[in-house]
Amino acid sequence: MLFRKVNTMSQLKEKLYLCSGLLSGLCIVIITSLLLAQIVGRLFGFIVPSAEDFAGYALAASTFLGLAYTFREGGHIRVTLLIQRFSPVPRKIQEGIILILSFALLCYLSYACGYMVYESYIYEEVSYGYIPVPLWIPQLPVAIGVIALNLAILDALVSLLRGQKTTYSEQEDALSLEEI
Amino acid sequence: MDMMWISILLAFALIALLSLGVWVSFTLIAVGGLGLILSENYQVDLLFATSSWGASTAWSLTALPLFIWMGEVLFRTRLSEDLFKGLSPWLGGVPGKLLHVNILSCGIFAAVSGSSAATAATIGRMTLPELRKQGYSDRMAIGTLAGSGTLGLLIPPSIILIVYGVAAEVSIARLFIAGALPGLLLVSLFMGFTMIWGHLHKDELPKTTGHETSWSARIKGLRKLLPVVGLIGFVLGSIYGGITTPTEAAAIGVAGALVLAALTGSLSRHSFMDSLLGAVKSSCMIGFILVGAHFLTLAMGFLGIPKALALWISGMSLSPMELILYLTVLFVVLGCFLDGISVVVLTVAVILPMVQAANIDLLWFGVFIVLVVEMSQITPPVGFNLFVIQALTGKNILYVAKAALPFFLLIGVAILLISMFPEIVTYLPTTMSQN
Amino acid sequence: EKWHMPTPYGDGNLQTQIAYTFAKEIKDNSDLEITVHSGGSLVKHTEIPRSVKSGQVQMGEMFLGILGNENPIYKHDNIPFLATSFEDAKKLWEAAKPSIAKELDKDGMMLLYTVAWPAQSLYSKEPVNSLADLQGQKMRAYSPTQSRLADLMDTTPMTIQTPDIPQAFSTGIIQAMITSPSTGVDSQAWDYVNNYTDVKAWIPKNIVVVNKRAFRRLDKATQQVVLDAAKNAEAAGWTQIAARAAKDKATLLENGMTVSDPSPQLVEELKAIGKTMTEEWKAEAPQEIGEILTRYQN
Ligand code: NA
Ligand code: NA
Repeated sequence: MLFRKVNTMSQLKEKLYLCSGLLSGLCIVIITSLLLAQIVGRLFGFIVPSAEDFAGYALAASTFLGLAYTFREGGHIRVTLLIQRFSPVPRKIQEGIILILSFALLCYLSYACGYMVYESYIYEEVSYGYIPVPLWIPQLPVAIGVIALNLAILDALVSLLRGQKTTYSEQEDALSLEEI
Repeated sequence: MDMMWISILLAFALIALLSLGVWVSFTLIAVGGLGLILSENYQVDLLFATSSWGASTAWSLTALPLFIWMGEVLFRTRLSEDLFKGLSPWLGGVPGKLLHVNILSCGIFAAVSGSSAATAATIGRMTLPELRKQGYSDRMAIGTLAGSGTLGLLIPPSIILIVYGVAAEVSIARLFIAGALPGLLLVSLFMGFTMIWGHLHKDELPKTTGHETSWSARIKGLRKLLPVVGLIGFVLGSIYGGITTPTEAAAIGVAGALVLAALTGSLSRHSFMDSLLGAVKSSCMIGFILVGAHFLTLAMGFLGIPKALALWISGMSLSPMELILYLTVLFVVLGCFLDGISVVVLTVAVILPMVQAANIDLLWFGVFIVLVVEMSQITPPVGFNLFVIQALTGKNILYVAKAALPFFLLIGVAILLISMFPEIVTYLPTTMSQN
Repeated sequence: EKWHMPTPYGDGNLQTQIAYTFAKEIKDNSDLEITVHSGGSLVKHTEIPRSVKSGQVQMGEMFLGILGNENPIYKHDNIPFLATSFEDAKKLWEAAKPSIAKELDKDGMMLLYTVAWPAQSLYSKEPVNSLADLQGQKMRAYSPTQSRLADLMDTTPMTIQTPDIPQAFSTGIIQAMITSPSTGVDSQAWDYVNNYTDVKAWIPKNIVVVNKRAFRRLDKATQQVVLDAAKNAEAAGWTQIAARAAKDKATLLENGMTVSDPSPQLVEELKAIGKTMTEEWKAEAPQEIGEILTRYQN
């Protein structure tokens, strides 16, 4: 019973990570479509209003929404030159320390980005471009993305404390095994 | 606290966090925050939010994920294989052989893309696996890619030339033209070096002498190149034919790559999703590092460190040649810790008056700046081409930097050449005035 | 005390030069030291209002028009053919100033001074004697007001970012644009376009604002120094901009562009468009804008 619960829990997590990646990818598709629409519009004499603004918003959303997925896949790069020479126990301590530091940093960033959305909402800030867009709407994905990254770091920290290998380091190892 | 001590402390914090294995983007943000606190600016949260929002919505960056996606799509087609098959009859007899594919493809792709990270990512995705499969030296494959990826900035269109042109009030059209000959110069330097290297290290090249180099094989090879050349030609044509602006060209590139993939039967739901998720991984990594770099740049702006260094140089009353030498050193040192565009933005206000006072041509100086910024793309610890290639290969950043070192020096040679013969830069722009 | 002041444009612009003089005058007369960060090097242009409002920086300069989506009164200097000479622009500013100051105050900012741009005029591939010469051509537009103007001029509006302008002209994406002679000189317009018709469509302005709380924390004497410096900066702005406009126009001519005054017919046609657009602008906020217009026209 307990085992099954854990299983569905980790399946749910997998789904959420994939969701992070897919949403980010969707935003890339949106940018492409917006720019293509603008090119076609130019040929046929119509304007896609605020296309630059919306492409910019989609870019921010894409960058931030995909952070958690990228983290889990070992996509965020770091310098492993020194730490890969550590033996297993010190290495585990080092990973623990940097995960805790990163978690603390991301808690602060989550607060900062959340507060930005809140402030844009209560001050009713609007964009400067062609179509006035309430800024909290495009800023919301930024905050959500940072919070998701924060949770992904927490997830990795929990795995580490449970004695499991973190997925990002598995990915890093897999990539370096490809080396000749 | 004294500015010198703050600088040393920040550089130390950056290096310590990086060697501890903290992710690059997180490190940049943490050091930026530390810098703000040291400048007695305690609204770190508000400043982070504002700077990240500004950095991540920049119109000039929208092309980056699209070019990366284009590379991911092409990687999954037969196109990258065809690129090699088509070029090998031409390059098989040249010392260094197919390593030149990296340089030439980057040079050609640079005419479409305005950033060096996009150039290295797109071309590297296609060429690195193939070069490895064929048994080329990893070090040289990585080095040629890291070096020639920077051509994205020099050969027009170029993000950095736009930034400089706006700041220095120099015609961007003229800057673009001015970048063309130095771009070719750099390509020749890179290829020349690769030939000499290939001549000296025959043992690190694939043993097979099976490259058919007859003219009939070459003509047949050209046919294999048609799809790639067609795609690049299509994108270039849409820019110079007045259908798109350079930023929008990336979208045409993606659409073209998807059409090619569909025509060659390698487009499926699965490969589409795969390519998209691959693009997400790279572009989120680069995007978040840019967010961090932008935040660190903001802290530097408040602290005034780059400005102070530039002022220090301006106080020395140097001859033009000395000035260029000092500025090269300044940019290379700053470029180790900040990304190249930030260095230009932070120092241009102080440096331009010096440059004008020394009677240095502003067009020439723009191209000079691009060359030093290119160098900063491949110096550790903060070098975007290094990041891109580490993500592509899993090789450590210092390994990549070492592989790129000869190319770093070659860019230095190019700076020396344009200083001795400024006409390399200034000749083409003088021919363009329509009146 | 040390303050930071981000400005949007580069050091060659009159606005930025005045900002430097303004900062220097304050430094010479008080303990307040203001660092000017020009060309968006500290804060991107679009983020400057927010940064001042929330106190991330104490002062900042911005193009007034970018606030247009927050309240239509910020667009008063972007309405075509409403005020086309520097005297009229000054008068319009006096009329709009009380409303603008009140609106900025609500957002926690205090108005310090303004510096106008040269009048915005027409750049075109072909000479323009009447609107018929422009009919069906593609014209650059980067704001809703400009886009409406392009419609009324019987041209097709095209969104082009500033850095893309030269290429857009050379490749035929656009054949005309309306911008200041300074922008034309900065981007070396003679490389890509031949004709400059001095229609003086409108005279936009930059404003410099200070965060209210930061200002209140200064002692009375320093506050007065800042206010005096602002007054001097504004006065310098109005005298110097006229000279700058003339100089920039001369530069366009020197580099081989055809610089001409608009024909009487073109003036009539454009005035009619201006009337329509003023009415449409007024409809956005009849009471507030009505007040400004009444003050201006009397
Ligand atoms: Na390029
Ligand atoms: Na670097």
